[in-house]
Amino acid sequence: MLTLTVRSVTAWAPGIESDDEWRAWARDPRPIAALGVPDARFLPPLLRRRCTPLSKAMLQVAFAACPDAVRSQVRTVFASRHGENHESFPLFEMVVSGQPLSPMRFTHTVHNTQAALFSIAAGNRCAQSAIAGEGDTFGAGIQEALCHLEREPARPTLLVVGDVPVADFALDLTGEPPWSFALALLLAAQGEGRSVGYELSPRDPAEPPETRRAWPAALDFVRWWHGTEPRLELDGPRTRHRFTRLDAASAA
Amino acid sequence: MAEPHAPSRRPRPARLAALGLETALGSGIDETWPRLLAGDRTGFVRRDDLVPGRSLLVAAITRPLPRIPEPLARYDCRNNALTLAALEPIESAVRDAVRAAGPARVAVVMGTSTSGASDTERALAVRRESGALPAWFRYEQLELGGVAGFVADLLGARGPAYAISTACSSGARALATARSLLALGLCDVVVAGATDTLCGLTTNGFSSLHAVSDELPNPLSANRKGLVLGEGSAVFLVTREEGGIQLTGVGERCEAHHMSAPDPDGAGAEHAMREALADAGLSPAEIAYVNLHGTGTPLNDAMESLAVARVFGERVPVSSTKALVGHTLGAAGAIEAAFSWMVLERSAGGVLMAPPHVFDGVRDPALPALHLPDKAEAVRVSGAAHVLTNSFGFGGNDCTLVLSRSLAC
Repeated sequence: MLTLTVRSVTAWAPGIESDDEWRAWARDPRPIAALGVPDARFLPPLLRRRCTPLSKAMLQVAFAACPDAVRSQVRTVFASRHGENHESFPLFEMVVSGQPLSPMRFTHTVHNTQAALFSIAAGNRCAQSAIAGEGDTFGAGIQEALCHLEREPARPTLLVVGDVPVADFALDLTGEPPWSFALALLLAAQGEGRSVGYELSPRDPAEPPETRRAWPAALDFVRWWHGTEPRLELDGPRTRHRFTRLDAASAA
Repeated sequence: MAEPHAPSRRPRPARLAALGLETALGSGIDETWPRLLAGDRTGFVRRDDLVPGRSLLVAAITRPLPRIPEPLARYDCRNNALTLAALEPIESAVRDAVRAAGPARVAVVMGTSTSGASDTERALAVRRESGALPAWFRYEQLELGGVAGFVADLLGARGPAYAISTACSSGARALATARSLLALGLCDVVVAGATDTLCGLTTNGFSSLHAVSDELPNPLSANRKGLVLGEGSAVFLVTREEGGIQLTGVGERCEAHHMSAPDPDGAGAEHAMREALADAGLSPAEIAYVNLHGTGTPLNDAMESLAVARVFGERVPVSSTKALVGHTLGAAGAIEAAFSWMVLERSAGGVLMAPPHVFDGVRDPALPALHLPDKAEAVRVSGAAHVLTNSFGFGGNDCTLVLSRSLAC
C-alpha cells in the first residue's frame, strides 16, 4: 500500500461551494448541474477575462486549496477527461469551414492551459503535469500526483481535477452526464494532514461494465472524505482504486 | 534563481529496453538511424488541404498505416494507427513482457496533444455536408486519454493507463512518469511514448500565431523563420531492470511567464537541464550529446541557445533533429528521446555518433556560439555514455531527460 498525506480537500460545483454545502451534499448527494461558473474574483481582471469556465473552476479550487505562502511552492497535476474540448469544438468547425482561427482561442485549448494559467497567476515555477485518463481520470490524477511526490518527496503536490460538458453534438457519446465540477487535493508524502492509503488492483474482466455515474468519481472521494467509511473503492474501466483511512485505523 | 532540488539518490532503474518509432524519417530504428546521421530531409512535403490558401510545408507520414483491429474500432483514428505503426516492430517483445509481468502490472503512459483531431475534423466535415455525424465517429477517438486506453486494450494491460498532455513536452513527461510508476511499485512494466498527427487545428492554430515557416526548418540560423509541423510516434518498453539504456535524469520547470512564448532569458530551460543533470548525478562535462528542442522559432532558439551555452558552453555537440522530422508537438519529446536512445544504442568501441545539426549554416550572431556539427560527429566516450534531450512546451512547461548507457563489458 502507498500512503498519501491529504492536507486539504476543496471542491466546487454549481451551487455547492462552501464546506458546509459539501458536507450537506456528502450526506445527501444529488446529481451535479451541467452549467455554472465560479466567480474566480481573486484573479487579476485581465487574466480572468481570458479564463474559460473550466479554467475558472479549476483555478478557483486550486487557489482555495493552498494557503498563500505555499501556492507558489507546490508541484501541480491538472487532470481533466475532456479538457477544453468545449472550446476546441467551435475551432474544429471553423477549420472545417475554412475560417481563420484566433491565436488566443487556439492557445487556450491546449490541455495544460489551466496549469499554465495557475503558474502565471500564482507565480509558481515548480514542475507541472496535465493528464487525461478517459473515464478514470481521477484515479489517473492520483497516480500522476504520486509520481510527482516520488520525484520530489519534500515538496507537496497539488492535484486539481475538473471537467465541464463537451460540445452538444458529442454529449451523448461520452457515456456520462454533462457536469461542471472541480476538486483540488493538496497532497504530501508525509507531515501535517490526514494519512490515506492507496492501492491499485485490476478489475476482473468478467465483471459487467460500470453503470453510468450520477456524479464524477472525484466527488465520490469528497463524499468519503466528509464521511466515516474506512474505505473507498472507485472503479475505472480497467482498474480499481482503493483508498483507506489510516488515521482512523491507527486510532481504532 | 533557485537551485534545482536535491534529487533522491535511491536507485530507481528505468531501462528503456526496446524502442519502436514511426516518423517522416522512416519506420523503426534500422531505417531511421542512417537517415538521422545523413541529415535526410526527404520527409517534408507540401500539403494544400490543411490551411486555406496556403501550400503548407509539413513532415508527413505518407506510408499506409496499419489497420486498427476490429474489436478496438472505437479507438480507430489516425493517431492510434500511427501509434500502432510505431509499436509494431517491438510488439512481440512488449507482449512477452506483458505475459511475464502479468497484465495487472503493466502501465501505459502516452503523450499526445492532438489525439484523433484529424478524424474529428473529418467527422465534422461529413456532418456539415449531411447533417449527421458519420456512424464511425466515437468519442474515444477524440479524447486525449484515448491513446493510452487504446494501447492498454491492445495489449490487455490492466495497470495505470493515461495520457499526458503538456503540449510539446508531453512525450518527455510520459517517460518521466514511467520511471516514477516503476519506482512507486505501481507496475513492473511500462509502455511509454507519444504520438501526434497533423490536423487542421494545429496547422491553422500555429499559422495564426505566425509561428510556421514556409521554408525547411532552419533551427538556430540567423534566417530562421519558424517551425515546420510534423507527425510521428515513438513507443518505448520500460522495465525495472538494471543495465542497457537507462533513463537516469529528469529535470522539470514551469516558466510562469506566458501562455505561448518562452521566457527570453532561458532560465526555465537552464533549470530543467541542471536539475536533470543533478538527478542523473552528472556534471555537464559528462554529457556527450545534446538533442535540442530547437523549433526554429526566433524566440525558442534564442532562449535555448542562451541556456545551453550557460550549462555546456561550446564543448558538447548539439543538434535539433526537428530539422529532419518537423515539430511533432506532443510526440516531440518521445521522438527526440528515441533519437537520443539510438545514439547510445548504436555506439560501439567507445565512440558514439552525434546526429548533425542541419540548417543553412548561417549562424545567428546574436546568439552565443554552440558546437553545431555540420555532419554526424564521432564522440569518444569511456566507461559510460550520457546524452541529454530538451523539450519545452506551451505554457512554459519545460522537461529535460538524460539517458545513459554503461559501456563496461
